[in-house]
Order: sequence, then structure tokens, then C-alpha cells
Amino acid sequence: MGYSGVRGGQEAIEAAERLVERARFGGHSRWLELDQITERLGPAVDRVMGEGGLWAPHLAARAVRQSQGDLLEAAQLLRAHRSTLPRLGYSLPADTAELPAVRRVAPAHRNPPGGQLLGRSADFTPRLLDLGPEGPAGAHTCEVPNGPDLPHDRLPESAGSDPEAVLRDAGLLPDRRNTDDPEPYDITRAPARPGTPRSARLSAMARAETGSLTHLWYTCGRSPRHQSPEIPLELRRGRLPLRVTHPHTGRPVTVAAVQVTEARTVRPIARPRPDGTRFDLGYGLCFGENEPKALAMAGLDLLVHRDPHTDRLEQKVLIALDGPEASGFLEHLKLPHYVDFRSTMERVQAVRAAAGGRA
Amino acid sequence: MTGRETGPVHNRLEGAGVPDTLTRERRCELLAAAEHDEIVPLAERLLADGATPPPTVVKAPEVGMVVLQVREPVEETRFYLGEVLVTECSVEVDGVPGWCMRADDDRVAALAGALLDAVAAASPAARAEVDALCAAVAERRAAEDAAEWADITATTVAFEELT
Repeated sequence: MGYSGVRGGQEAIEAAERLVERARFGGHSRWLELDQITERLGPAVDRVMGEGGLWAPHLAARAVRQSQGDLLEAAQLLRAHRSTLPRLGYSLPADTAELPAVRRVAPAHRNPPGGQLLGRSADFTPRLLDLGPEGPAGAHTCEVPNGPDLPHDRLPESAGSDPEAVLRDAGLLPDRRNTDDPEPYDITRAPARPGTPRSARLSAMARAETGSLTHLWYTCGRSPRHQSPEIPLELRRGRLPLRVTHPHTGRPVTVAAVQVTEARTVRPIARPRPDGTRFDLGYGLCFGENEPKALAMAGLDLLVHRDPHTDRLEQKVLIALDGPEASGFLEHLKLPHYVDFRSTMERVQAVRAAAGGRA
Repeated sequence: MTGRETGPVHNRLEGAGVPDTLTRERRCELLAAAEHDEIVPLAERLLADGATPPPTVVKAPEVGMVVLQVREPVEETRFYLGEVLVTECSVEVDGVPGWCMRADDDRVAALAGALLDAVAAASPAARAEVDALCAAVAERRAAEDAAEWADITATTVAFEELT
């Protein structure tokens, strides 16, 4: 389909932009500070950074404010800004086994090694709209009671960082470890298409649009072909260090930290062949506090590994989940398509005439 | 002391008889974690007092991205999780290099961090002030970590199964 430009309308376009600016900068309420957005709307900022592919809390907060809370638009703004920035280097590989967790739950095990930490969570709280008094009146509930008598220092993460050890030790998990250590596929430099390495799939899902990822996992994971139950082994949140090589000493140095959510999930292999006596394992990791995304990513990683071709699942995971791409295409439909529409209409009329209908 | 840098900087410090209490990497890490209002005033004061020769900016503060590589646990292969916004700067003070990379896009703080890194390596007198700042940052981070851990331990759970 070809597109043609249009001319004119400049004054109307500028007037329309002024109305947008009036909505952004006008009104009677106080100006929305960036700290308010990062502190009080943390999951929204995290989601924008994840879908924008760039960890930059203050820039993401700016994007949320500029887009007036439209998170798809905010991710697009951040992604576009990202494309203007130079790439200064690559971190040393981070191992999530060293992730100091602020939350760790294990739906598959009652007493996992290292214990379970609910962390900041409303998982067991009724999800009811809070109609209480406005403002900080509810602050009295912010005091956290003393915990059990645990060590004063944070437990080493090695105490609970291998949730699949039980399955592996019992011979119930295929050993998929790869000793080649291939270079990761960079989906920002080359298009990810079916057949690309798994590293491309993980990168694509890490910056996928959360709703699209959740929806795809839900529709695929609950299909009759996947009747075996999916149960997460572990869900964690924590801060991952950004380590680079010091330019003068050549040794690792930590220069920043990034909040992440990590999930590992299993399903028994439902079919007797080739090996129905084991589990499949899926992995999810994404920026920020975004548990639905990490869980859906882990579930889809597992399903694509198991069967990438049915329903073109691998293709959907690689191509159809990017928020800025999808919303960008959708947004462009609102622009003038006069020539396209005339051309399409003439073609339909010609077909109709050829078929003997009235032209 | 562990992980100490070798070469001219090391020799000069040893000759001055001043113990280097922080590794170069640890100092960089703490300067990267310091707040703008912690490192910029110190860098400005050291320059204003003449405690350090004027720096030469080798690489002006540059805002960019570092790709975060993660080794995932299933196949133990690497993938790119995303990119992190950082600012990087390199300077020289009296021929001694200083470097800083820190999160976000604060060019002034990155320049101050690189300057303090170089000053700490070049001047034993100024190093004490830089390391005092680093110690304060380390203490603050430890206190924040302890407070966070105290909050988290309150959410430790051991469910009972109904039989």
C-alpha cells in the first residue's frame, strides 16, 4: 500500500497542539512533580521503562507526565528518546543468583530453601477500591511490625537462588545448559524472526507490551493443547547491579543498579513422547516491578520451547508484542489516507463490475 | 588492601606513605552512588581551595546507554535485558586519570565524580576527604539496606497446609 502526503492544515494542527498543551500545563491542580510520579506511580514508571527498553526512572516519569498517563504513548516517547542516545558499552553478564531479593515467593514449595518473603505485596489483600479519607490520613498503617528473629544482615541470595534444584536433583528436569556461551542476539540492531536464538526471544519479551504479553500467554497457555498445569517455582523482585569493566584497572566495577522482576515456571510434559516423565522450565525477567509480565514471559518461554510452530507462537512472540510498533501502526491509521481509500474503492468497484454487478 | 592498582599512581601513593583504604573500583562505586549534592560541592571546594591542580577533561560528560547483559539460569546463556541510562566522564589531574560512570543523565555529577576519582589517586591530602565522603555514602547505603531488610523480614511467611 502506498501513501501520499497532504498539504495544508497547519493552523488547525497548531491549534490542536495548543489544546494538548493546555491539558498538560493548564488546569487548577498543582503541577505534577517528577518525584511524585516515580514515588507514587512506581509500577507505571517501571512498565514504561520495560516497554521502552531503557532503565531511566526520571525520563520515564517525564514521559508519563507528557503522555498524561497514556503508558503506551509514554513507552513510545522513551523508546524514541532512546534512539537518540549513544551506546557507551555492554555490562558484564549479571547473574540473578546474586540478586538481593526484596520479595521472594515460591508457589510450588511451602518451605523453599531460604524461605519465602512476601515483601511489598497485596496478593492476600482484598482488591477493593479505597474510599477512605483523602491524603495521608491512612499513614498510621505504614508502620511495619517487627519480623521474626532473622539474622540482622541480609541473607545471602545463594540460600534461595536455585529453585529448580529439587527437580533437577530428582532427575525431573532436562539439562538444557549450554556450554558454548554464544553472543546474545541484539534485537535493536537486527530484526528478530523465527529461528533466531532464544536470547532474541527473551529480549523481545523483556520489552514487550505488558497487556499483549499477558493476553498471548493467557490464550495460548489455557488452550486444550496445554492441559498440564503451570506452576511457578519462584517469583522474585530485587536490584540487579550494572557492572562494567573499569577502564583503568580492567576489573569489574558496579556503576548502577536496576530493579527487576524474575519468574521461573514449570509444566509437566503432557505427552508421553519424547519424554513425558519430566518438566519443562520457562524463564522470565523484566525491568522494574512488573510481576504479570515476568510470569507471562516465563510461561511463553516455556511454551515456545515446547512447540514454537503451532499457531505460529514463536513468530507472535518475536513480532507481535512490541508496544511502540503496534501502537505506532495503529496511530498512523488516523492520518489522511485519501489516495489509498480512493484507490481501494476504485479497485473494489472494478472487481464488482467485472463480476457483472453495477459499477 | 586488596585489588590495588599497580603502575605510576600506585608508586606515587606508596612513596607518600599514605595508606590507600579503598580500592579504585570501590571508590568509583561509592562515588557513582553518591547524590549530586554530596559530590558536586566537594569537587567545587577542592578546586576552589587549590587543593588540586586544574583538571583536564579527557572525555566530556556524555549521556548514553549501557546494555545490561544477563545470564539466564535455564540454558545459562546470555541475553540483553535492556539498556540503562548512564553518564560517563574522564579527566586527568596532574597526569593521573580519573573516571566516572553513574546512572541517569547528570553531567555535572559525572564530571565531579571523575574529578574526585582522579584527585583521590593523585593527592594523598585530598584523598582523605574523598574517602570520608565515600565512607558516608557506604554508611548511608548500609543503613538503607538494613532498614529495608528489617521491613522485609516482617513479611517472612511459612504457610501451613490444611490436611
